[in-house]
Amino acid sequence: MPTASLSVLDIPFDERPDPDEYIRAAMEWHFGPDTGSPFWLRKAETLDFDPRRDVKGVADLALFPNVTGELREVPVRDLIPQGYGADARIVGVFESGGTTGAPKRIVCLRDWLDRLTHGLSADLDGLGIPRGVDWLAIAPSGPHMVGEMVAGTAARHGGLMFRVDMDPRWVKKLISGGKAEETDAYVNHLIEQAAYVLRTQDIGVLMTTPPLLERLARHDDLIELIGEKVKGIMWGGAHMDADTRDLLRTEVFPGCELYGTYGNTMILGGATERLGLGPDEPCVFDPRTPFVTFSVVDPASGAPVAYGERGQVVMNHVSKSALLPGNLERDLAIRVPPPEGAVGDSVADVGPVAMFDDEVVIEGVY
Amino acid sequence: MSQPATAAPAALDALASLDALGPKGPYRSRHRLTVGDVTGAPMAELSLVPRLFVTRALAALRAADTLPLEERLAALKRAGELFATGTVAGMSAEAYEGAVCRMSGTPLANVRIAVEAIRLSATEAYRSVQAARPVGAVGDWRDPYARSGTAVWIRRGDVFAVHAAGNHPAVHALWLEALALGYRVAVRPSRREPLTPYRLVSALRKAGFGTDQVVLLPTDHDAAGEILHGADLSMVYGGQEVIDRYAADPAVLPNGPGRSKVLITADREWRDHLDVVVDSIARHGGTACVNATAVLVEGDPAPVAEALAERLAALPSLPPQDEKAVLPVHPLEVARGFERLLLGKAAGARAWLGGDGVVDDLGDGSAALRPAVFQLDDPRDARLGVELSFPCVWVAPWTREAGVAALRDSLVVTAVTGDEALLDGLLAEPSIKNLYIGDHPTHWIARASRTTRISASS
Repeated sequence: MPTASLSVLDIPFDERPDPDEYIRAAMEWHFGPDTGSPFWLRKAETLDFDPRRDVKGVADLALFPNVTGELREVPVRDLIPQGYGADARIVGVFESGGTTGAPKRIVCLRDWLDRLTHGLSADLDGLGIPRGVDWLAIAPSGPHMVGEMVAGTAARHGGLMFRVDMDPRWVKKLISGGKAEETDAYVNHLIEQAAYVLRTQDIGVLMTTPPLLERLARHDDLIELIGEKVKGIMWGGAHMDADTRDLLRTEVFPGCELYGTYGNTMILGGATERLGLGPDEPCVFDPRTPFVTFSVVDPASGAPVAYGERGQVVMNHVSKSALLPGNLERDLAIRVPPPEGAVGDSVADVGPVAMFDDEVVIEGVY
Repeated sequence: MSQPATAAPAALDALASLDALGPKGPYRSRHRLTVGDVTGAPMAELSLVPRLFVTRALAALRAADTLPLEERLAALKRAGELFATGTVAGMSAEAYEGAVCRMSGTPLANVRIAVEAIRLSATEAYRSVQAARPVGAVGDWRDPYARSGTAVWIRRGDVFAVHAAGNHPAVHALWLEALALGYRVAVRPSRREPLTPYRLVSALRKAGFGTDQVVLLPTDHDAAGEILHGADLSMVYGGQEVIDRYAADPAVLPNGPGRSKVLITADREWRDHLDVVVDSIARHGGTACVNATAVLVEGDPAPVAEALAERLAALPSLPPQDEKAVLPVHPLEVARGFERLLLGKAAGARAWLGGDGVVDDLGDGSAALRPAVFQLDDPRDARLGVELSFPCVWVAPWTREAGVAALRDSLVVTAVTGDEALLDGLLAEPSIKNLYIGDHPTHWIARASRTTRISASS
């Protein structure tokens, strides 16, 4: 049996492997009896294909069933590839947002986080965000990986990071329970904490979600502080429409570079905004392939949609530290060709289906 | 935007884009909604602003100045004239009337009535709200009475927001009173008919109001709440669900179903009042909250229902831009939705008109909603409050036992009766907002009664 060299899994951060060679090596690693995780070795016995023989490249990742549901219950130690042996350096156990029932769990290893944060930091260099400035993250931490990802990026970029913790599960509960006032109070609580940091510390990079950016923008004094101090705003965790993005760029925070991210815990990261896009171009996200790959599919048939068409996003994570193929996201996005040298799809205009409330027939004349 | 090569009315050129009217001037968003006419043909691209734009616009309104009283009243009057007769944003008054009627399905004659109501309100708004001033208060601290301890009546905030409705252009006559009082005003138009507030806000700006004093903010549902958040006081239109949502919020005045009613007691000959009852049901195409939803008759309601059905059946089905049109017109599918709702509610009621349906397909993708008359047996039947946006009436017997309770929750009650004790009871009932005694249609706009309504929000 031809064996791919496993060394490609440890390719230096600045280099991109041949995608298909990389995927074959990852299959060797995750399904090798001595290197694979107990979870995947057990799973392999139920598959109707042999990953080491049949998965020859990125496209063949579609052979895998969506196993993410099982991550709600599997003992997380079973997710760690045995090939790391006793040396496995664990960053932590992280969980999905928990919108639909019990959370799903993954284990994040140091080598992956380092690769991820190296890429993010390199992008920030590309945007001209200076190294050595300090950061403020108003974002989920605790069980949510994004906090760790941002902290790692800040550290790699030479910054100290101030944190305002946000519990997205509680926010979702408040919103779905129709508790607008409590939601408002919680958001004000976050903004108040952020204001203390912004007033007293020299914050050069701000990381938060689009809704929180909008709430910051309700306060002229904070807009002014951010304008004076902040060079870059990294956002993620929710979608941002093109009009809002343009207003933030041109009117609210004209001195700041905006840098969007799109991903989630279940793929241990995600995609980042394509740099250099104009104001009228949709915000395109490119995953860092072949480690993370996307495909945009028709929600009904599961077949890929054409470029420019809207579909549901399927995400794959393939690294030495983890194999998480076939994550079907609820988001819809437009399928966009990947940048040169990348594989799979890029996505644009990510968001939920637009809802209008005018066309429903109700009683009364209004 | 490219225009069709066919001989489109000049109105369409000006209409092609309905921009938001923000604090820095017109704003064309990337997120736009195509607004069609009742046949489904696209008429305009409405710019929908994101929530952040709303936040910023409301902050700009809050930071803005208010025009001095005399200046703003003069500007209001000029705006009213411009709106009613001038060319605004490239569109003549005639082109506007035709366009709004095709867009909303409001009969042309009703559009003209609404235009006149808006013009009149622009002229009279200040005088009208002054009628709500407590008699013991004066309007200015410079008034000599203020120096001797008399209270000065002032507005309760600076920023006023409106979630407008699209059922009738005349809903935009009301918020002009807030401008007269010195509020800066944000209007969220209905997506069904954004043209009237677009024209009105444009006219106000042309007449002297600053772009940071009155704004038009079309939004989707997501950003709608932000407009209310940024305002001191608001007025919203909607169904019962909207009424319930804001019932406990003293900063929001909800306008919901009117459930207006006519009561005729046995001491009056109903035949003498048939014209007023028909008019109460059908004026404004039956689309106003002041149209009668129910008619209660002491004695046998059947002859009344029969007579109403005969009179209402004569109303013609015509495209809204026809001079003789009187019935509301909708896209066919929307009209069928109303019909399904009506027939579902009417199950078991005696149908005098419309029992087989109310949709009259005009053959061009649109349909007129024809009148409906149903008879109910019990004055406590909850269906007496089922208000639909076309001439649709429930007729029921009224008894002394049913009393005032049968007339509760009414924006207007027209009481045709000589029974003074009953009138006392109706007047004392707090859920009856307006009581008209005798031969007045429910849509009669008594200056004083309208003033009472808006004063709650100003």
